[in-house]
Amino acid sequence: MKTLTFVAALSSMLFACTEEKQNNKSANEIQSVKTEMAKPEMLKSYIGSFEAEVVNNHAKSPTYANKINVSVTSLKDGKITGYSLIAGNQQTFEGTYTVNAGKFDVKAKEPGTDKHDGRFEFSLDTIGKKVIGKWYSFDTTIDVTVRTYTLDEKTFSYDANLPLPEILVGMPFYDPKLEEAEGGRGEGITKDVLKVNPSVAQLSKAQVENMYKGDLEVLRNSIYARHGYSFRNRKMRYLFDNYADWYMPVSLNVENELTEIEKKNIDLLKRYENHADKYYDEFGR
Amino acid sequence: MQILIKTIGIGLLYLLYAYFCWLLVQIAWQYVPFQTNVAFLQIKQDVVPLWHYRMAFVVHVYATLLVLPAGFVQFNGYVRKNFTQIHRYVGWVYILVILGFASPSGFWMGIYANGGLSSQIAFCILALLWFYTTLQALLKIKNNDFSSHRNFMIRSFALTLSAITLRLWKTIFVYLFHPHPMDVYRLVAWLGWVLNIVLAEIIIFKLTKK
Repeated sequence: MKTLTFVAALSSMLFACTEEKQNNKSANEIQSVKTEMAKPEMLKSYIGSFEAEVVNNHAKSPTYANKINVSVTSLKDGKITGYSLIAGNQQTFEGTYTVNAGKFDVKAKEPGTDKHDGRFEFSLDTIGKKVIGKWYSFDTTIDVTVRTYTLDEKTFSYDANLPLPEILVGMPFYDPKLEEAEGGRGEGITKDVLKVNPSVAQLSKAQVENMYKGDLEVLRNSIYARHGYSFRNRKMRYLFDNYADWYMPVSLNVENELTEIEKKNIDLLKRYENHADKYYDEFGR
Repeated sequence: MQILIKTIGIGLLYLLYAYFCWLLVQIAWQYVPFQTNVAFLQIKQDVVPLWHYRMAFVVHVYATLLVLPAGFVQFNGYVRKNFTQIHRYVGWVYILVILGFASPSGFWMGIYANGGLSSQIAFCILALLWFYTTLQALLKIKNNDFSSHRNFMIRSFALTLSAITLRLWKTIFVYLFHPHPMDVYRLVAWLGWVLNIVLAEIIIFKLTKK
Protein backbone atom coordinates (compact mmCIF):
# COMPACT_ATOMS: atom_id res chain seq x y z
CA MET A 1 0.00 0.00 0.00
CA LYS A 2 2.80 2.31 0.97
CA THR A 3 4.56 1.69 -2.33
CA LEU A 4 1.36 2.39 -4.15
CA THR A 5 0.91 5.74 -2.41
CA PHE A 6 4.51 6.54 -3.15
CA VAL A 7 4.09 5.74 -6.83
CA ALA A 8 0.91 7.79 -6.95
CA ALA A 9 2.64 10.72 -5.30
CA LEU A 10 5.60 10.42 -7.64
CA SER A 11 3.48 10.25 -10.76
CA SER A 12 1.41 13.21 -9.66
CA MET A 13 4.64 15.11 -9.15
CA LEU A 14 5.81 14.14 -12.62
CA PHE A 15 2.48 15.12 -14.01
CA ALA A 16 2.69 18.45 -12.24
CA CYS A 17 6.08 19.01 -13.84
CA THR A 18 4.91 18.30 -17.36
CA GLU A 19 1.89 20.45 -16.80
CA GLU A 20 4.09 23.29 -15.75
CA LYS A 21 6.20 22.85 -18.86
CA GLN A 22 3.10 23.00 -20.97
CA ASN A 23 2.06 26.17 -19.26
CA ASN A 24 5.47 27.65 -19.94
CA LYS A 25 5.16 26.66 -23.54
CA SER A 26 1.79 28.31 -23.94
CA ALA A 27 3.16 31.38 -22.18
CA ASN A 28 5.94 31.45 -24.75
CA GLU A 29 3.45 31.10 -27.53
CA ILE A 30 1.52 34.05 -26.21
CA GLN A 31 4.78 35.92 -26.01
CA SER A 32 5.56 35.21 -29.66
CA VAL A 33 2.05 36.14 -30.74
CA LYS A 34 2.53 39.38 -28.92
CA THR A 35 5.85 40.12 -30.60
CA GLU A 36 4.25 39.45 -33.94
CA MET A 37 1.58 41.90 -33.05
CA ALA A 38 4.15 44.43 -32.03
CA LYS A 39 5.42 44.59 -35.62
CA PRO A 40 2.33 44.90 -37.79
CA GLU A 41 2.25 46.59 -41.17
CA MET A 42 0.90 49.59 -39.44
CA LEU A 43 -0.17 50.33 -35.94
CA LYS A 44 -2.62 53.03 -35.17
CA SER A 45 -4.22 52.96 -31.78
CA TYR A 46 -7.47 54.67 -30.91
CA ILE A 47 -8.29 55.20 -27.27
CA GLY A 48 -11.47 56.18 -25.53
CA SER A 49 -14.42 55.16 -23.50
CA PHE A 50 -16.36 52.04 -24.48
CA GLU A 51 -19.81 52.86 -23.20
CA ALA A 52 -22.79 50.68 -22.56
CA GLU A 53 -25.80 51.59 -24.66
CA VAL A 54 -28.04 48.57 -24.28
CA VAL A 55 -27.91 46.94 -20.86
CA ASN A 56 -29.83 43.73 -20.27
CA ASN A 57 -29.02 43.17 -16.68
CA HIS A 58 -28.56 46.14 -14.36
CA ALA A 59 -28.82 43.90 -11.31
CA LYS A 60 -25.32 42.53 -11.78
CA SER A 61 -24.00 46.11 -12.00
CA PRO A 62 -21.94 45.61 -15.15
CA THR A 63 -19.17 48.08 -15.92
CA TYR A 64 -20.86 50.80 -17.89
CA ALA A 65 -17.69 52.31 -19.31
CA ASN A 66 -14.16 50.99 -19.77
CA LYS A 67 -11.27 52.51 -21.59
CA ILE A 68 -10.73 50.64 -24.84
CA ASN A 69 -7.79 50.50 -27.18
CA VAL A 70 -8.79 49.74 -30.76
CA SER A 71 -5.65 49.16 -32.76
CA VAL A 72 -5.59 48.83 -36.52
CA THR A 73 -2.76 46.64 -37.80
CA SER A 74 -3.51 46.64 -41.51
CA LEU A 75 -5.79 48.56 -43.81
CA LYS A 76 -5.61 47.80 -47.51
CA ASP A 77 -7.49 46.37 -50.48
CA GLY A 78 -10.79 46.83 -48.69
CA LYS A 79 -9.69 44.70 -45.77
CA ILE A 80 -8.94 45.66 -42.20
CA THR A 81 -7.31 43.75 -39.35
CA GLY A 82 -6.66 44.80 -35.83
CA TYR A 83 -7.26 44.05 -32.20
CA SER A 84 -8.95 45.56 -29.23
CA LEU A 85 -7.67 45.72 -25.69
CA ILE A 86 -10.05 46.32 -22.84
CA ALA A 87 -10.21 45.38 -19.16
CA GLY A 88 -7.34 42.93 -19.40
CA ASN A 89 -8.69 41.23 -22.51
CA GLN A 90 -7.17 41.32 -25.96
CA GLN A 91 -9.14 40.17 -28.97
CA THR A 92 -8.45 40.37 -32.68
CA PHE A 93 -10.91 41.50 -35.32
CA GLU A 94 -11.07 41.25 -39.10
CA GLY A 95 -13.36 42.85 -41.60
CA THR A 96 -13.93 45.05 -44.59
CA TYR A 97 -14.22 48.72 -45.28
CA THR A 98 -15.53 51.10 -47.89
CA VAL A 99 -14.26 54.62 -48.35
CA ASN A 100 -16.88 57.26 -47.91
CA ALA A 101 -16.16 61.03 -47.93
CA GLY A 102 -12.52 60.50 -47.00
CA LYS A 103 -13.39 58.21 -44.10
CA PHE A 104 -13.25 54.44 -43.81
CA ASP A 105 -16.57 52.80 -43.01
CA VAL A 106 -15.54 49.61 -41.24
CA LYS A 107 -17.42 46.43 -40.48
CA ALA A 108 -15.36 43.90 -38.56
CA LYS A 109 -15.90 40.80 -36.49
CA GLU A 110 -14.15 39.25 -33.54
CA PRO A 111 -13.47 35.50 -33.89
CA GLY A 112 -16.41 34.46 -31.73
CA THR A 113 -14.31 32.28 -29.49
CA ASP A 114 -15.15 34.31 -26.41
CA LYS A 115 -18.54 34.78 -24.84
CA HIS A 116 -18.02 38.52 -25.05
CA ASP A 117 -17.07 38.66 -28.73
CA GLY A 118 -19.04 40.71 -31.17
CA ARG A 119 -18.85 42.92 -34.23
CA PHE A 120 -17.65 46.45 -34.71
CA GLU A 121 -19.16 49.04 -36.98
CA PHE A 122 -17.22 52.26 -37.03
CA SER A 123 -16.09 55.16 -39.09
CA LEU A 124 -12.33 55.52 -39.15
CA ASP A 125 -11.11 59.02 -39.84
CA THR A 126 -7.35 58.83 -40.36
CA ILE A 127 -7.04 62.56 -41.03
CA GLY A 128 -9.23 63.72 -38.14
CA LYS A 129 -7.61 60.91 -36.09
CA LYS A 130 -10.90 59.56 -34.76
CA VAL A 131 -12.88 56.37 -34.59
CA ILE A 132 -16.61 56.65 -33.98
CA GLY A 133 -18.97 53.73 -33.90
CA LYS A 134 -20.80 50.92 -32.21
CA TRP A 135 -20.18 47.39 -31.12
CA TYR A 136 -22.79 44.61 -31.02
CA SER A 137 -22.32 41.40 -29.07
CA PHE A 138 -22.92 38.08 -30.85
CA ASP A 139 -24.54 36.67 -27.73
CA THR A 140 -27.64 38.74 -27.07
CA THR A 141 -28.05 37.38 -23.52
CA ILE A 142 -24.94 38.95 -22.00
CA ASP A 143 -25.24 41.94 -19.69
CA VAL A 144 -24.31 44.63 -22.20
CA THR A 145 -25.14 43.93 -25.85
CA VAL A 146 -24.44 47.27 -27.53
CA ARG A 147 -21.67 49.73 -26.81
CA THR A 148 -20.79 53.06 -28.39
CA TYR A 149 -17.47 54.82 -28.59
CA THR A 150 -15.66 57.89 -29.82
CA LEU A 151 -11.93 57.22 -29.81
CA ASP A 152 -8.90 59.40 -30.41
CA GLU A 153 -5.69 58.33 -32.07
CA LYS A 154 -2.89 58.14 -29.55
CA THR A 155 0.67 56.92 -29.58
CA PHE A 156 1.90 55.18 -26.49
CA SER A 157 5.13 56.22 -24.89
CA TYR A 158 6.31 55.42 -21.41
CA ASP A 159 6.95 58.40 -19.18
CA ALA A 160 8.02 57.82 -15.59
CA ASN A 161 6.99 61.34 -14.62
CA LEU A 162 3.29 60.97 -15.39
CA PRO A 163 1.55 62.04 -12.18
CA LEU A 164 -1.48 60.53 -10.51
CA PRO A 165 -4.37 62.92 -11.11
CA GLU A 166 -5.29 65.14 -8.16
CA ILE A 167 -8.94 64.41 -8.72
CA LEU A 168 -8.35 60.96 -7.20
CA VAL A 169 -8.01 62.45 -3.71
CA GLY A 170 -11.12 61.74 -1.70
CA MET A 171 -12.39 59.31 -4.24
CA PRO A 172 -13.93 56.11 -2.89
CA PHE A 173 -12.76 52.73 -4.11
CA TYR A 174 -14.90 50.34 -5.96
CA ASP A 175 -14.86 47.34 -3.69
CA PRO A 176 -16.72 44.25 -4.88
CA LYS A 177 -16.69 42.82 -1.35
CA LEU A 178 -18.63 45.80 -0.03
CA GLU A 179 -20.96 45.95 -3.00
CA GLU A 180 -24.08 45.33 -0.96
CA ALA A 181 -23.04 46.71 2.38
CA GLU A 182 -21.88 50.11 1.21
CA GLY A 183 -23.18 50.44 -2.28
CA GLY A 184 -19.97 49.17 -3.82
CA ARG A 185 -17.82 51.79 -2.16
CA GLY A 186 -15.09 51.24 0.38
CA GLU A 187 -12.22 53.21 1.82
CA GLY A 188 -11.21 56.31 -0.13
CA ILE A 189 -7.97 57.63 -1.55
CA THR A 190 -5.98 60.29 0.34
CA LYS A 191 -3.54 62.98 -0.77
CA ASP A 192 -0.68 60.66 0.23
CA VAL A 193 -0.81 59.26 -3.30
CA LEU A 194 0.39 62.61 -4.67
CA LYS A 195 3.43 62.82 -2.38
CA VAL A 196 5.61 60.28 -4.15
CA ASN A 197 6.06 58.81 -7.60
CA PRO A 198 7.22 55.19 -7.42
CA SER A 199 8.33 55.22 -11.07
CA VAL A 200 10.83 58.02 -10.51
CA ALA A 201 12.72 57.29 -7.31
CA GLN A 202 13.21 54.42 -4.94
CA LEU A 203 10.87 54.84 -2.00
CA SER A 204 12.10 54.68 1.57
CA LYS A 205 10.39 52.81 4.35
CA ALA A 206 9.61 56.13 6.06
CA GLN A 207 7.73 57.30 2.97
CA VAL A 208 5.34 54.38 2.87
CA GLU A 209 5.00 53.04 6.41
CA ASN A 210 2.28 55.48 7.43
CA MET A 211 0.15 55.05 4.32
CA TYR A 212 -3.23 53.37 4.13
CA LYS A 213 -3.47 50.14 2.23
CA GLY A 214 -5.65 51.72 -0.47
CA ASP A 215 -3.11 54.46 -1.17
CA LEU A 216 -0.30 51.91 -1.35
CA GLU A 217 -2.32 49.93 -3.85
CA VAL A 218 -2.99 52.96 -6.05
CA LEU A 219 0.68 53.94 -5.99
CA ARG A 220 1.83 50.44 -6.88
CA ASN A 221 -0.68 50.18 -9.71
CA SER A 222 0.27 53.62 -11.03
CA ILE A 223 3.55 51.97 -12.06
CA TYR A 224 1.68 49.42 -14.15
CA ALA A 225 -0.61 52.13 -15.53
CA ARG A 226 2.35 54.18 -16.79
CA HIS A 227 3.49 51.15 -18.76
CA GLY A 228 0.05 50.81 -20.33
CA TYR A 229 -1.03 47.72 -18.46
CA SER A 230 -4.64 46.79 -19.18
CA PHE A 231 -6.20 46.21 -15.76
CA ARG A 232 -8.31 43.17 -15.15
CA ASN A 233 -8.78 44.31 -11.53
CA ARG A 234 -11.98 46.29 -11.58
CA LYS A 235 -11.07 48.53 -8.66
CA MET A 236 -7.90 49.84 -10.29
CA ARG A 237 -9.33 49.86 -13.79
CA TYR A 238 -12.15 52.11 -12.69
CA LEU A 239 -9.68 54.70 -11.37
CA PHE A 240 -7.22 54.75 -14.24
CA ASP A 241 -9.79 54.34 -17.02
CA ASN A 242 -11.91 57.21 -15.81
CA TYR A 243 -9.56 59.67 -14.16
CA ALA A 244 -6.05 59.41 -15.61
CA ASP A 245 -6.18 61.15 -18.98
CA TRP A 246 -2.72 59.94 -19.87
CA TYR A 247 -3.57 56.32 -19.20
CA MET A 248 -3.61 54.18 -22.29
CA PRO A 249 -4.08 50.39 -22.11
CA VAL A 250 -1.61 48.78 -24.52
CA SER A 251 -0.45 45.55 -22.94
CA LEU A 252 -1.60 42.54 -20.94
CA ASN A 253 1.79 42.02 -19.34
CA VAL A 254 4.31 44.72 -18.56
CA GLU A 255 6.57 42.79 -16.17
CA ASN A 256 9.45 42.93 -18.65
CA GLU A 257 9.11 46.67 -19.10
CA LEU A 258 9.51 47.59 -15.43
CA THR A 259 12.60 49.54 -14.43
CA GLU A 260 14.79 48.43 -11.53
CA ILE A 261 13.45 51.28 -9.40
CA GLU A 262 9.90 50.25 -10.16
CA LYS A 263 10.54 46.60 -9.35
CA LYS A 264 11.98 47.53 -5.98
CA ASN A 265 9.10 49.87 -5.22
CA ILE A 266 6.51 47.29 -6.25
CA ASP A 267 8.12 44.85 -3.84
CA LEU A 268 8.18 47.40 -1.02
CA LEU A 269 4.63 48.63 -1.59
CA LYS A 270 3.29 45.12 -1.89
CA ARG A 271 4.84 44.12 1.42
CA TYR A 272 3.19 47.01 3.21
CA GLU A 273 -0.10 46.25 1.47
CA ASN A 274 0.03 42.63 2.55
CA HIS A 275 0.87 43.62 6.09
CA ALA A 276 -1.92 46.20 6.24
CA ASP A 277 -4.36 43.79 4.72
CA LYS A 278 -3.69 41.15 7.33
CA TYR A 279 -2.78 43.10 10.44
CA TYR A 280 -4.07 46.67 10.28
CA ASP A 281 -7.34 45.92 12.05
CA GLU A 282 -6.30 42.67 13.69
CA PHE A 283 -4.82 41.86 17.08
CA GLY A 284 -1.11 41.98 16.25
CA ARG A 285 1.48 44.42 15.00
CA MET B 1 -22.96 36.89 47.47
CA GLN B 2 -20.11 39.35 47.19
CA ILE B 3 -17.65 36.47 47.26
CA LEU B 4 -19.54 34.77 44.47
CA ILE B 5 -19.43 37.87 42.27
CA LYS B 6 -15.75 38.27 43.02
CA THR B 7 -15.02 34.63 42.15
CA ILE B 8 -16.93 34.91 38.88
CA GLY B 9 -15.13 38.15 38.08
CA ILE B 10 -11.74 36.61 38.71
CA GLY B 11 -12.73 33.54 36.71
CA LEU B 12 -13.67 35.74 33.78
CA LEU B 13 -10.35 37.59 34.04
CA TYR B 14 -8.49 34.27 33.85
CA LEU B 15 -10.53 33.29 30.81
CA LEU B 16 -9.84 36.62 29.16
CA TYR B 17 -6.15 36.25 29.91
CA ALA B 18 -6.19 32.72 28.48
CA TYR B 19 -7.86 34.00 25.33
CA PHE B 20 -5.23 36.70 24.76
CA CYS B 21 -2.41 34.27 25.54
CA TRP B 22 -3.85 32.06 22.84
CA LEU B 23 -3.77 34.98 20.39
CA LEU B 24 -0.15 35.66 21.30
CA VAL B 25 0.74 32.01 20.74
CA GLN B 26 -0.86 32.24 17.32
CA ILE B 27 1.20 35.32 16.49
CA ALA B 28 4.38 33.49 17.47
CA TRP B 29 3.26 30.43 15.54
CA GLN B 30 3.50 32.38 12.27
CA TYR B 31 7.26 32.25 12.64
CA VAL B 32 7.36 28.45 12.94
CA PRO B 33 9.32 27.41 10.97
CA PHE B 34 11.27 30.63 11.12
CA GLN B 35 10.85 32.76 8.01
CA THR B 36 11.65 36.39 7.46
CA ASN B 37 9.02 37.40 4.93
CA VAL B 38 5.86 37.02 6.98
CA ALA B 39 3.74 39.07 9.36
CA PHE B 40 5.61 41.77 11.28
CA LEU B 41 8.92 40.97 9.56
CA GLN B 42 7.38 41.91 6.20
CA ILE B 43 7.72 45.52 7.25
CA LYS B 44 11.13 45.05 8.91
CA GLN B 45 13.01 44.16 5.74
CA ASP B 46 15.55 46.94 6.32
CA VAL B 47 16.84 45.27 9.49
CA VAL B 48 16.07 41.61 8.76
CA PRO B 49 19.49 41.19 7.09
CA LEU B 50 21.15 42.00 10.44
CA TRP B 51 21.94 38.72 12.18
CA HIS B 52 21.71 40.27 15.64
CA TYR B 53 18.26 41.69 14.91
CA ARG B 54 17.07 38.30 13.66
CA MET B 55 18.47 36.69 16.78
CA ALA B 56 16.81 39.21 19.09
CA PHE B 57 13.55 38.73 17.22
CA VAL B 58 13.58 34.94 17.44
CA VAL B 59 14.52 35.02 21.12
CA HIS B 60 11.82 37.58 21.84
CA VAL B 61 9.03 35.78 20.00
CA TYR B 62 9.67 32.33 21.42
CA ALA B 63 11.13 33.04 24.87
CA THR B 64 8.42 35.50 25.78
CA LEU B 65 5.81 32.78 25.55
CA LEU B 66 7.42 31.09 28.58
CA VAL B 67 6.58 34.18 30.63
CA LEU B 68 2.84 33.88 30.04
CA PRO B 69 2.06 30.89 32.37
CA ALA B 70 3.06 33.04 35.35
CA GLY B 71 -0.15 35.00 34.91
CA PHE B 72 -2.24 31.90 35.63
CA VAL B 73 -0.64 30.79 38.89
CA GLN B 74 1.56 33.45 40.50
CA PHE B 75 -1.15 35.84 41.66
CA ASN B 76 -3.35 33.06 42.99
CA GLY B 77 -3.20 32.99 46.83
CA TYR B 78 -4.33 29.37 46.94
CA VAL B 79 -1.46 28.23 44.73
CA ARG B 80 1.06 30.35 46.64
CA LYS B 81 -0.05 28.89 49.97
CA ASN B 82 -0.59 25.25 49.06
CA PHE B 83 1.78 24.73 46.17
CA THR B 84 4.74 26.86 47.16
CA GLN B 85 7.06 24.78 45.00
CA ILE B 86 5.02 25.52 41.89
CA HIS B 87 5.10 29.21 42.74
CA ARG B 88 8.90 28.99 43.03
CA TYR B 89 9.44 27.06 39.80
CA VAL B 90 7.14 29.20 37.68
CA GLY B 91 8.65 32.28 39.33
CA TRP B 92 12.18 31.21 38.46
CA VAL B 93 11.23 30.59 34.84
CA TYR B 94 9.48 33.96 34.70
CA ILE B 95 12.45 35.83 36.17
CA LEU B 96 15.19 34.05 34.25
CA VAL B 97 13.41 34.27 30.93
CA ILE B 98 12.77 38.01 31.34
CA LEU B 99 16.21 38.93 32.68
CA GLY B 100 18.15 36.62 30.39
CA PHE B 101 16.18 36.73 27.17
CA ALA B 102 12.89 38.56 26.80
CA SER B 103 13.89 41.97 28.14
CA PRO B 104 17.37 42.23 26.50
CA SER B 105 15.97 41.08 23.16
CA GLY B 106 13.09 43.54 23.53
CA PHE B 107 15.57 46.33 24.18
CA TRP B 108 17.60 45.39 21.12
CA MET B 109 14.49 45.32 18.93
CA GLY B 110 13.40 48.63 20.47
CA ILE B 111 16.52 50.27 19.08
CA TYR B 112 15.29 49.37 15.60
CA ALA B 113 11.59 49.97 16.29
CA ASN B 114 9.26 51.18 13.55
CA GLY B 115 7.88 54.67 13.88
CA GLY B 116 11.06 56.63 14.60
CA LEU B 117 12.63 58.01 17.74
CA SER B 118 9.42 58.28 19.77
CA SER B 119 8.54 54.60 19.57
CA GLN B 120 12.21 53.58 19.82
CA ILE B 121 12.42 55.38 23.16
CA ALA B 122 9.10 53.94 24.29
CA PHE B 123 10.10 50.34 23.63
CA CYS B 124 13.57 50.74 25.11
CA ILE B 125 12.22 52.27 28.33
CA LEU B 126 9.65 49.48 28.49
CA ALA B 127 12.42 46.88 28.23
CA LEU B 128 14.56 48.60 30.87
CA LEU B 129 11.66 48.97 33.33
CA TRP B 130 10.68 45.36 32.72
CA PHE B 131 14.22 44.28 33.57
CA TYR B 132 14.45 46.56 36.61
CA THR B 133 11.11 45.61 38.18
CA THR B 134 11.70 41.89 37.63
CA LEU B 135 15.21 42.07 39.07
CA GLN B 136 13.96 44.01 42.11
CA ALA B 137 11.24 41.43 42.67
CA LEU B 138 13.92 38.74 42.73
CA LEU B 139 16.20 40.68 45.09
CA LYS B 140 13.32 41.46 47.47
CA ILE B 141 12.28 37.83 47.83
CA LYS B 142 15.91 36.83 48.41
CA ASN B 143 15.74 39.20 51.38
CA ASN B 144 12.42 37.73 52.45
CA ASP B 145 10.75 41.10 51.84
CA PHE B 146 7.42 39.65 50.79
CA SER B 147 5.38 42.80 50.35
CA SER B 148 8.04 44.54 48.23
CA HIS B 149 8.40 41.32 46.21
CA ARG B 150 4.67 41.36 45.60
CA ASN B 151 4.70 45.04 44.60
CA PHE B 152 7.55 44.65 42.13
CA MET B 153 5.97 41.54 40.64
CA ILE B 154 2.74 43.47 40.14
CA ARG B 155 4.75 46.14 38.28
CA SER B 156 6.71 43.56 36.29
CA PHE B 157 3.61 41.67 35.25
CA ALA B 158 1.81 44.91 34.35
CA LEU B 159 4.65 45.51 31.88
CA THR B 160 4.45 41.92 30.67
CA LEU B 161 0.79 42.52 29.91
CA SER B 162 1.76 45.32 27.53
CA ALA B 163 2.19 42.54 24.95
CA ILE B 164 -1.58 42.26 25.10
CA THR B 165 -2.65 45.83 25.85
CA LEU B 166 -0.51 47.36 23.10
CA ARG B 167 -2.15 45.18 20.49
CA LEU B 168 -5.57 45.64 22.01
CA TRP B 169 -5.29 49.45 21.96
CA LYS B 170 -4.20 49.31 18.36
CA THR B 171 -7.27 47.28 17.42
CA ILE B 172 -9.55 49.65 19.33
CA PHE B 173 -8.08 52.80 17.78
CA VAL B 174 -8.22 51.37 14.28
CA TYR B 175 -11.82 50.35 14.80
CA LEU B 176 -12.83 53.75 16.15
CA PHE B 177 -10.76 56.25 14.18
CA HIS B 178 -9.21 54.47 11.21
CA PRO B 179 -5.86 56.22 11.80
CA HIS B 180 -2.77 56.01 9.63
CA PRO B 181 -0.93 52.79 10.52
CA MET B 182 2.27 54.34 11.84
CA ASP B 183 0.44 57.07 13.78
CA VAL B 184 -1.42 54.47 15.76
CA TYR B 185 1.78 52.49 16.23
CA ARG B 186 3.60 55.47 17.75
CA LEU B 187 0.67 56.06 20.06
CA VAL B 188 0.31 52.51 21.35
CA ALA B 189 4.08 52.18 21.78
CA TRP B 190 3.56 54.47 24.80
CA LEU B 191 -0.05 53.84 25.71
CA GLY B 192 0.49 50.07 25.70
CA TRP B 193 2.55 50.11 28.90
CA VAL B 194 2.22 53.54 30.57
CA LEU B 195 -1.42 52.96 31.49
CA ASN B 196 -0.52 49.50 32.76
CA ILE B 197 2.11 50.84 35.12
CA VAL B 198 -0.26 53.57 36.36
CA LEU B 199 -2.86 50.90 37.05
CA ALA B 200 -0.22 48.78 38.80
CA GLU B 201 0.65 51.68 41.13
CA ILE B 202 -3.03 52.18 41.96
CA ILE B 203 -3.38 48.48 42.79
CA ILE B 204 -0.22 48.56 44.91
CA PHE B 205 -1.45 51.68 46.70
CA LYS B 206 -4.74 50.00 47.55
CA LEU B 207 -3.09 46.78 48.70
CA THR B 208 -0.60 48.67 50.90
CA LYS B 209 -3.41 50.68 52.51
CA LYS B 210 -5.12 47.44 53.54
